Amino acid sequence: MKLARLLILTIGVAIAISGAVPLLKRILADTKPSVQLNIAATTPRAVEDTTQQSIVRDYSAAWQGLSSALANNNTAPLAENFTGYALDKFMERVKQQAQSGLKTRIVDHGHKVDAVFYSPDGSAIELKDTATLETQVLDGDTVIHSDQAQVHYYAIMTGAEDRWKVRVLENTQ
Amino acid sequence: MRKLLLIGLAIAACWFASAQANAAELRIPQTAVAGQALSIGTTGNGDATFYLVGPGATLKRKIRLGEDVQVKGEELRSAGRWVAIVRGSGGPQSQVFYVKPDKPAILNFSARPSRVPVARPNSVSGVAFIFDKFHNLILDPTPVKFSLSVGGTTASHTINSKEGVAYINSSSAPKAGAAQFVASVDDVSVNRVVEQVASDPCNLRMHVIQREKDQIIVQTDPIRDCTGNAVPDGTIVTFTQTDSTGRSVVDARIKKGVARAQLPASNNATIAVAAGVVLGNELHVGGGQ
Repeated sequence: MKLARLLILTIGVAIAISGAVPLLKRILADTKPSVQLNIAATTPRAVEDTTQQSIVRDYSAAWQGLSSALANNNTAPLAENFTGYALDKFMERVKQQAQSGLKTRIVDHGHKVDAVFYSPDGSAIELKDTATLETQVLDGDTVIHSDQAQVHYYAIMTGAEDRWKVRVLENTQ
Repeated sequence: MRKLLLIGLAIAACWFASAQANAAELRIPQTAVAGQALSIGTTGNGDATFYLVGPGATLKRKIRLGEDVQVKGEELRSAGRWVAIVRGSGGPQSQVFYVKPDKPAILNFSARPSRVPVARPNSVSGVAFIFDKFHNLILDPTPVKFSLSVGGTTASHTINSKEGVAYINSSSAPKAGAAQFVASVDDVSVNRVVEQVASDPCNLRMHVIQREKDQIIVQTDPIRDCTGNAVPDGTIVTFTQTDSTGRSVVDARIKKGVARAQLPASNNATIAVAAGVVLGNELHVGGGQ
């Protein structure tokens, strides 16, 4: 009798864990990546406090959107956070990934960002980002490439209706 | 038992040798430029799948190991970090490489403000982002020539771009008119128009042009700024008459270069004229004056 109770308890715990792990993974995946913004060397205009907060919020959201779009081959998160050349580029990437049956999974370990240029009229800001990323490329469900690296990015963000959107996102050596 | 072990070892050795023989490796050229074809060498033998994953594109195709993979220029448009992967009978092999932008072809140039008073220091700003024809930001320092010309006079400055952007803050020219603000890199140039308008009036003067029993009409001389540009029609000029009965104020617009006002006749009044923060002369009228 006691053994049966123990067995039931064990099965119950196992079921709870099996449900909780994917949920936890999902929660972690939906977490916005951390962005540390440094505005000490920004020229020719100083970045206002509110702009600084908006840039951190929106740049982080853009990365979350990009990761989600590339992992699920879904273009919806791109339009919310990207515009112009960057939007065209990533839309094309997602489209081609879907056609080839590929996916890209990004585990984002954070961004150290310097604002290097803020236009005099306050309409555009250029960021230099050192991102720590784990990238996996999957063909179907098979991982065909995996790496972890510090990747340098330049981003240009411009003011949109209610947020800053990424207009250019380019990585360099 | 011993024989079985030996057979097993022989099979394992053959399998290992076969895997090594079929192992795929990638040879990628040191430099790759956006829009330019690329030849990627492979080693090994047998069929495999080749993947190319870049910032704005992915590619998947069947290849034969040992042969070079030809990537077309149009497939390699995005500058940045690419991953080439080959997946044969062994495990997948991959290599990261970087693609540089092509030469400058697009200037994203914004000029502010669209309307500015003449001869005002550091009042006109120009920002130019430099891209190649595939919209890749060119991060290498590139000289950008900014020129501001109006009425036959041109002021030019060359600024080296830094991290993809060149920026200038310059004074407006002394002449009013539609100034052509041009940013150029090599044979690519972009033109913006900055309307330069006359600055504040200079030497604002008025005189009485007509005096009647119950009114007096005053008119300014042609109103110009300090560099001789006519202050635009429509600009408000304020005439103020003060006498023992109080103050009369008339806001008149400049029309055909001058401003005019009708004021009540007075035996002893002082009339002042002003435009914005600029004060003109005063007139004393009354009695036999």
